[in-house]
Order: sequence, then C-alpha cells, then structure tokens
Amino acid sequence: MTSNTRNTTVINIAITGVGGQGVLTLAEILAKSALEDSHNVRVGEIHGMAQRGGHVVCTVRIGENAKGPIIDPGTAHLVVGFEPVETLREIHLISKGGLVIMNSHVQYPVVVSMGKAEYPSKEEIHDALTMHTAKIIEFNAIELANNAGNSLSMNIVMLGAILASGIVPIKKETALHVVQTTFPSKFVDVNTKAFELGYQAISDSL
Amino acid sequence: MTKPKELLEDAPGKTLLLLANEAIARGVLEAGVRLVALYPGTPSSEIGNNLTFMAPHIPNFYFEFSTNEKVALEVAGAAAVAGVRSMMVCKGPGLNVAADPFFSLAYVGVRGGMVIVVADDPSMWSSQNENDSRYYALMGNMPLMEPSDPAEAKSMLLEAYEFSEKVELPVLFRTTTRVNHTRAPVRFHEIRERPAQVEFEKEPYRFVPVPSVARLRHPWLLGQIAKAREISETSHLNFIEGTGDLGIITSGVAYTYVVEALDHLGMNAEILKLGITHPLPEQKLTDFLRMHERVVVVEELEPYLETHARRLAQLHRVEVDILGKEQGYFSRTMEYSPRIVIEALCKIADCNTCINWDEIDSRMKDMADLPPRPPLLCAGCPHRASYFAIRTATRGKAIYPSDIGCYTLSIAPPLETADILFDMGSSISTACGIAQVTGQDIVASVGDSTFFASVLPGLVNAVYNKHPVSLVVLDNRTTAMTGHQPHPGTGITGMQEQVEPLDVEDVAKGLGVKYVKTINPFDSLAGLVREVREMVKWVRENHEPAVLVSKAPCALLTAAEMRKTGEYPPRFYVDSDMCTACKRCLNRLSCPAMYLDSVTDKAVIDEPLCNYCGTCVAVCPQGAIKQEE
Repeated sequence: MTSNTRNTTVINIAITGVGGQGVLTLAEILAKSALEDSHNVRVGEIHGMAQRGGHVVCTVRIGENAKGPIIDPGTAHLVVGFEPVETLREIHLISKGGLVIMNSHVQYPVVVSMGKAEYPSKEEIHDALTMHTAKIIEFNAIELANNAGNSLSMNIVMLGAILASGIVPIKKETALHVVQTTFPSKFVDVNTKAFELGYQAISDSL
Repeated sequence: MTKPKELLEDAPGKTLLLLANEAIARGVLEAGVRLVALYPGTPSSEIGNNLTFMAPHIPNFYFEFSTNEKVALEVAGAAAVAGVRSMMVCKGPGLNVAADPFFSLAYVGVRGGMVIVVADDPSMWSSQNENDSRYYALMGNMPLMEPSDPAEAKSMLLEAYEFSEKVELPVLFRTTTRVNHTRAPVRFHEIRERPAQVEFEKEPYRFVPVPSVARLRHPWLLGQIAKAREISETSHLNFIEGTGDLGIITSGVAYTYVVEALDHLGMNAEILKLGITHPLPEQKLTDFLRMHERVVVVEELEPYLETHARRLAQLHRVEVDILGKEQGYFSRTMEYSPRIVIEALCKIADCNTCINWDEIDSRMKDMADLPPRPPLLCAGCPHRASYFAIRTATRGKAIYPSDIGCYTLSIAPPLETADILFDMGSSISTACGIAQVTGQDIVASVGDSTFFASVLPGLVNAVYNKHPVSLVVLDNRTTAMTGHQPHPGTGITGMQEQVEPLDVEDVAKGLGVKYVKTINPFDSLAGLVREVREMVKWVRENHEPAVLVSKAPCALLTAAEMRKTGEYPPRFYVDSDMCTACKRCLNRLSCPAMYLDSVTDKAVIDEPLCNYCGTCVAVCPQGAIKQEE
C-alpha cells in the first residue's frame, strides 16, 4: 500500500446549530464576503425538513479547488457551533488541529424538555470535543447578541468570531460591509455591535 | 438573501453568489422563457420562490404556481406546443404526478423550446423516496441533461433550450439536492426578449395522439432521439479532462467529488464528464472504454451510466473492467461525498489516504447517545392544537392517514397522528381503503395546499362510494413546508395578483360532502376536541365522509407579521407557584418553546421562541400557564 496524498488549498468551515438560529444566513454572509474579496467559494445548505427547529449544518468552502459543497469528516479547519450538543454532533468534521468556536448557551431538544433523554453535562461535552481537537473556544454568544440589542443577531456575533480567528482569508472591513449592506438599514447598529462583540471575544481568547 | 430584484438586473458580466435554484431562475430570463408553471417541492422550491417575485417585473412573462405537477406540465407543455419557450419545475416525486402528460409530450413534441426541471433528492432530505428520475428520460425517450453545480445549472439551461428546439422535444433537466442547494459564484449574461404573443397553428394530426396518430409519432420520436444522439456525440457538455491509465465516467454533482478526490489523492485519471445523459454519446463512450483497461463509474443512486457502459462494452466487444455499483464499490442509496469516492478509488488503486476515517468514525460511535433533534412542528403551529384534539377525541385509537406537508411531522410522539402515507393526496384515499376492511374510526388529515393539489378526486371518490371517513383539513393559509408559496385558497397568484380565493369548506360542500364545518384551532381546545368527536360520531352514524376545516395561519407567517409591525400580544408564562411539575404540557404538546427548569424541575416558556398561540394554557390541569394582562 502506498500513501498518496497532497495538500489542497481549500479552507473548510462547518457551521452547526438549530433551525431558526440563523445558521444559513451566516453561511451566506460569510461566502458573500469571500466572493467580495475575490475568492472562489461554495456553500452547502439543506432546506425544508431540516429547518423546522431541527439540527442544521451548513458548509462554507473557500479556495480555488473548492468544487462541491461537502466537507468530509476530519477536514474542517473551523467548526462554528451555535449550540453545545449540535457542535458535538458535527465534531467529526474537524481536522487535526482545527479550531472549534462554540456558543455555550444551551437550547434543549424537545426530547430533553419532555424528560425522555438527558442533555450531557458541560464537562461531558468538553471532554468529547477535546477527543477531536485541543483548540476549543467557548463563549456565550447569545449574551453578546443581547448586549448588541437583539438575540437574533447571534449569527453576526459568530461572524465576528470567525473573522477574529484569522482562519478565513477575508478582510474584516469586507465582512462588515457585507453585513451592513445585506440587511435593512434599521439593523445596521445592532449588527455592527454584534460583529464587534464577537470579534473582540475571540481576539481576547486567542 | 439574494433578492429576486438582483436576479432581474440587466448586468452582463456581473457575478453573484447564487443557489443553483436562483441560477435557474436567472436562466429563465437569459433564455427568454415566456411561461413557467410549477408546483413547489423541495429541493426545487427556490426556483418558484424567486420567479414569483420577478414575474411582475418581466415584460411578456407568465408565471404560475399550478395546482399540481400534472397541471403544471400540461400548462407549460401547451405553451411550448404553441411556439414559445416554457418551463415546468418539480421535485422527483412531482414528476411521478406529471408522468401522464410527460410521455404524451414526447410523442407530440414541441415547437418552442421546453425544459422540465426535476430535482431529485438523494439521502431524502425532504422527500418520501430517492427515485432516480433519469429513467424517465430513458422510458419516455426525452433528452436528459445533468448539471454539476450552480454555474453549470445556468449555462447548461441555455443550451437545453437550443437543444430542445433542434430536436423539437422537451429536455429533462435533472438536478439533485446538492446542486440545487449549493451556492457558488454565477456570472450573469444578457437577458433575451420574449414574444408578447404567438399564433397557435393547428396541427391536430400531430398534437392529438389518438392511436392512429400515436403510431406514427412513436417512430418519429425514436428518429428525433437518433438526431439528438448525433448532437450529444459532439456536444462540449460531454467532455474528457485529465490524463491517466484509469478512466472515470461521471455526471452531476458526483463529478465535483471525483475532481476533489483525485486532487486529494494526487491521483491521475482521465475523466469522461457527461452533461447530456440521454441520449448518451455512444461512440464517444465506447471509444473511452476502449482506451482504458479499467473504468470506474461514479454516479449517485441507480447504476444508470454503469449499465449503459456495460451494454456498450458488450455490444462493441470492448475488453474493459467496468467498476461501479455492481461490484459493491459504490452504493445505490444516499448521496455521495468526496470521501466515498476517495475510499472507492483507494480500494481500486490499492492506496490509502492521510485521513484516518476509521478512527474518526469510532470516536463518533460514543456520541450515538446524544439527544436527537429532529425537525418539529414550530412553536405556535396551529397543527399542534389540531392534532392534540384529534388524538384526545379519539383517545389515540383511531387510524390516522396522513399526507405530505409539515403536518407529517405529527408522526413523532406525543402527537403520533400519522399512520399511513403514500404520496400527495393519499390521506383521503388510503382512509377509504382502510374504512372498507376495518371497523375502526378513521381520521385523516391534509393541508390546504395538498387539498387543492391532490385530494379532490379522492374526496369525490369518498362521497360517491360512501366511505365512512373523517377528514381534517389543516388550513394554514399557505404551502408552508416548501417556503410559503400561495395556492388556490390564498387569494394570491404566481404573478402576485390578488384574486378571489377558493374556500375549502365551499369546495368540500360542492363536491357533495354533507358534513362540513370550519373552526379556528386557537379558539378553544376543549371545543376543538368536541368538534372532532362529533364528526367521528356523525361518520359512524351516517356512513359517509365528513370534513372539518381547522383554519389558522402558519405560525411563521404570524411571527413574521408581528416582527414587521413590532406589535406583540401579552406574553405567556408559567406561574411557578402553581406549577406542580407534572410535565403534562411538555409531554402532551412537545412545544419547542417549553422546557423544564433544571433546578426547580418546573415548566418554563422560552420567551424568544414562543409564538403566542396559547395552546398550552388549556393543557395545564393546574391553570398555571397564564397570559399577562
């Protein structure tokens, strides 16, 4: 048997969360920013059934060799988790040495609310994540979104966090510009603040 | 977020990040398509969602959400027969609905270019099967194209219209979920003008396939396919790239996985990428087989190309190993990924990859116990109240035939009100079948859009043949599951015009149903239970069908309206002094906006998630759930 591999230049970002949290919107904003900075990009989305409060995962792939939308297990440079258990569900995507950025705020699945299943403890989640990578940044993104003025801006907090990680080849100004021009003008202040709070939170942790 | 307005821009050279579905909507403009008719179905939904808002701004363009796919294909097919370019769009199972006109359309052919977009769904992300629609092209003798990504979805669409006009046949344009729902940079080209009107030239001995005509049309059709094959032989849509001893034949999104897999492995191979997969370029394919000792076929779902490759190898006595699904290198189920292609190529070429997937898989095994988070009825969904009432009124003992829409999610505990489902409209007809052979009470349910799309003939059947069944029409004023498209009950058309809506109650009465009532599921939960019980009793006594319309708008529409106006009703809360932690609210409703406080073990309403339906208030035996004054 011969080992036959070479490095590709694609940056893979997986975004995982719960339908309704703004996962799809973040993926699109991130990809639009990449395109604006003249990168080839692919976004993988799943619509329909997956969105009704269920688990949602989106992929963003930046780089010349990105052809399809799929991120294989062990190939994501960055996993962005909107919720702890949903981060764990997709952790197999992370590459060796890859970074996990995770919102620590828990949103219980209905089976847990009904008392039919247990939500793993903070420690259990942390231990399971570290089996896959040592680089994990956990922060309360929903609190930052609330501080920015609207809990719905959590995905923009996460965008700021992604930019601060330095993993994506996108200029901070570009991402901010895309955020400010994509949504109605009444959200500019909240979103700008959310972006900066997310950016700051990760800059401080690195 | 890409707005329909952006898709309308007359800006050749502009590059936008688009879903393939958005690229196809843009392609409609660039191809000068005069009419598009469709019934929404994921993964094709965004094509219509964009076209409906683009339509009023496009000169000489007509768009409609037809009542179902059969109707859509007849509307679009006739427009192409009349001489303009047209399009019909559906999901995989939707083409089954439209199968009848599909086959006739190939016999009579078209004068203007026509494309039928069919979106298959490997892995069944939002479908009841993963049928491979390519066999329709084979069976119906219709040309078939398969784009691999969003950019190709648009460029190939433009060629599909040229092709269609050359051979006077519609082109089946087959995408899959991972094409439809991938975003990529797509470059705009010029917008083509559309004719205001054309003259319908009569040619009944072509367009009316009575047996004597059909007998002449079948050989004509085979002749057109022979012509189409000549085009396919030289088309740049069927191209060869790369070099190597190993040959790979592929199509659709699998092509992108092949390119990435070879890149990942640093492996050389010659790829035959097929964009036109019916009629196949048989000469080109045979020559390709001759040039290699081993050829791998990479395609999702059925061994369509693989079987053709084996057929051609046998026919032309080519000595070649064709490796694919037949030897177990690839699966006939679920969508592929670069990993699947890499692992198969490693098996074939005896190499390995730098990622230890076995190790990752084994690490993930420990996570099998994670609490699942399947899709659910939304907080505030009117169906929750309706199903709670149906189940309570029948004590869970009736048979509950279901149908296709959000409400199929009632299969899950605690509602558990979906017992049988075949296809769009099967609620009423399966109810009839069960009624005739069991003595059980039957309460079927269906949404408003599906009611108009496919239930009407089944309801007539139930009335005329006196089937003792109850039908609840869950009228949430939209086609919710696919993204809130209008339907004949909404009063909005695909052209965004206001029209007189059809009323479900009137329609049911018109079809001869004697027991028809309309209720608001949010009025009173106890009242709702009473209504269901009364209906079931009436059916038992009168031995004929009854209809109850449970009418309240989709929670997502209500929530959007509240966000827009900024006006919210007083909030609901659990009075923790009164809550005895009995969990009845959680266990009977499974509302995503409710959870147990981990410290007090009492129920809590998650305020940002609550959509103010108030259904939980009546479920609490203590009266602990209240609304602020």
